[in-house]
Amino acid sequence: MNARIDILEGSRIALKSLRAHRLRTLLTTVGIGIGVATLLAILGITQGLDTSFAKQLESLGSSTLYIQKSPWVQMGNWWEFRNRKDLTWAHAEGVRRLSTYATAVAPMVSRNEEVKFHDLSMAAVEISGTTSDYLQVTGFEITRGRFFGESDDDSRSTVAVLGMDVVDTLFPHSDPIGAPIRIGDRVYTVVGTLSRKGKILDESQDEIVLIPFHTHQSQFGAQRSIAIGVSVATPDALDAAEDQLVGIMRRLRQTPPDKPDDFAINRPEQLASTYNQLTGALFGVAVGIGFITLLVGGIGIMNIMLVSVRERTREIGVRRALGARKRTIVVQFVLEAMTVSAVGGALGTALGLGGAKLVSLVTPLAATVKPGTVFFGVGFAALVGLVFGIWPAFRAAQLDPVEALRHE
Amino acid sequence: MLIQLSGIERTYTVGTEKVHALRGVDLSIDAGEWVAIIGQSGSGKSTLMNVIGCLDTPTRGTYFLNGKDVARMDDDSLADVRNREIGFVFQNFQLLPRETALANVELPLVYRGVKAAVRHARAQEALVKVGLADRVHHRPNELSGGQRQRVAIARALAGEPSLLLADEPTGNLDSATGEEIIKLFTQLHEQGHTIVLVTHEPKLAARCPRAVRLSDGLVVADGPGKEVALISVAA
Ligand SMILES: Nc1ncnc2c1ncn2[C@@H]1O[C@H](COP(=O)(O)OP(=O)(O)OP(=O)(O)O)[C@@H](O)[C@H]1O
Ligand SMILES: [Mg+2]
Repeated sequence: MNARIDILEGSRIALKSLRAHRLRTLLTTVGIGIGVATLLAILGITQGLDTSFAKQLESLGSSTLYIQKSPWVQMGNWWEFRNRKDLTWAHAEGVRRLSTYATAVAPMVSRNEEVKFHDLSMAAVEISGTTSDYLQVTGFEITRGRFFGESDDDSRSTVAVLGMDVVDTLFPHSDPIGAPIRIGDRVYTVVGTLSRKGKILDESQDEIVLIPFHTHQSQFGAQRSIAIGVSVATPDALDAAEDQLVGIMRRLRQTPPDKPDDFAINRPEQLASTYNQLTGALFGVAVGIGFITLLVGGIGIMNIMLVSVRERTREIGVRRALGARKRTIVVQFVLEAMTVSAVGGALGTALGLGGAKLVSLVTPLAATVKPGTVFFGVGFAALVGLVFGIWPAFRAAQLDPVEALRHE
Repeated sequence: MLIQLSGIERTYTVGTEKVHALRGVDLSIDAGEWVAIIGQSGSGKSTLMNVIGCLDTPTRGTYFLNGKDVARMDDDSLADVRNREIGFVFQNFQLLPRETALANVELPLVYRGVKAAVRHARAQEALVKVGLADRVHHRPNELSGGQRQRVAIARALAGEPSLLLADEPTGNLDSATGEEIIKLFTQLHEQGHTIVLVTHEPKLAARCPRAVRLSDGLVVADGPGKEVALISVAA
């Protein structure tokens, strides 16, 4: 007797027995199937989330750095960040002059204000003061009208460029270009509109009004710290650019050599890692649920295998009397358990893929499933069958042949 | 000597009590013999059959089968001995209900690792031998009791064992069908097969060349079938 015969004969018996108990097989597979379906749907949705988030991050600029007072992902003393010296227009000018990597440098200063046009208004809109480099740094485009230039800044012109959410709210039926809007106590003339960017992490990027940097300071004061957006030619240049920027900023701010940086250089990819931590936790919980379902399914398999062993006690006795070794009996029942589970796995895979597809149809999430996941589904289910079938199989093999033959 | 049993004891422990099914059986059987084992219910006939068939191991004593010391073999070796040396025929047939007659007969050959084509041919041959050439693809529930027992005998023959062991093979059959099965055994004996047959019918034992009487786990008579069976009628 060799293992090949054990496996050949075992699979033949397994298939025969499953065909003889179609309904029972089907019911048993449901548990495993739901477990595999849950796992696959979760995998698919998370893969989809990751790709759609990666796309969103790209819209923040994949080759952009932001010099700010404090880092996006804060670890340590928040008051240490607060007490740092403010970043100013002069720093932005210095970076523009000294950095050899920067292709655009945009100072940015923001506050939230109500924006009105006639009887329409929009509360808490982000009003950003900046320069024309803003477009290149952020990846926005001008869809209508123009951006403001240096002369607008020099003369503190009250001109504004609107994000699409603001256009939608204040100008549902009319052309915004040339229209007078009210921001706080001043009236601005709309000169252009921005392209639509959509949401990042559920926050709209289009609820924004841009005005010249110094116009912003003259209306809202110059006491707040600014952010400096820097774009570089390619993402590969980011690391070198960051090193250089650290040097430039320390020089501009005259940071003593023994002191740590008193500013932060933020990169959108840092957001990705925060995001990954967040979804990682969610993913863990969901996978846990999937595993519990599989555990329940596995116990179902174990139960049905114990029933099967009991029902077929006489058969086991006959096989042993005719020369089957214990190992042969173990292989027979383990294969049976694995086959039931694999069938469940196949059903679950179909269900899981269907579920992921449905999610991608009814939600904006693109649920993608890699082809390998299918094999994973079936293989994993078979593994569950192995784990939960092995004990009933050993019980079957341990039966005393004489007793088994006498079993009613 | 095909079978050599000496001082065979088999003790079952039920709770704290010990049941002595065999108390020291000495028995030798030559190749080609046809031996009936008779005795009252509970005398230990089936226990002895199971020991001879290597389904059960004796508590004490030595057992040589074809010169091999079977009492000291491990479980895997015993399975191999059953597969090659023994052909079982049971009172209640013990066929696998979902398999055809042919598949049932092939089973010992499957566990011996015989190739499918050879297996089919030999199983077919065995079925022809027991007169079931036209029932090869029937399942047990499509066969009469006598036909089922013929399938079981074919299965016992297919592996060409040294020994046929039958425990009350006619016990579940009417007398006419039982007679056919006994005729079949007679033929097999004439062809040279070694047969050990357990029965409680003195008439049947009387037809065997040799009979062994068990009583309370001991051999109490051993001789020509007619004599041993007659004592039973007198007793
Ligand atoms: N598994 C067991 N556990 C305990 N006692 C047993 C067991 N098997 C058999 N016995 C006992 O051993 C004795 C012999 O049993 P055995 O089955 O060999 O008798 P038998 O001669 O075949 O009887 P019958 O003609 O009724 O089949 C009986 O007393 C029986 O109760
Ligand atoms: Mg008996």
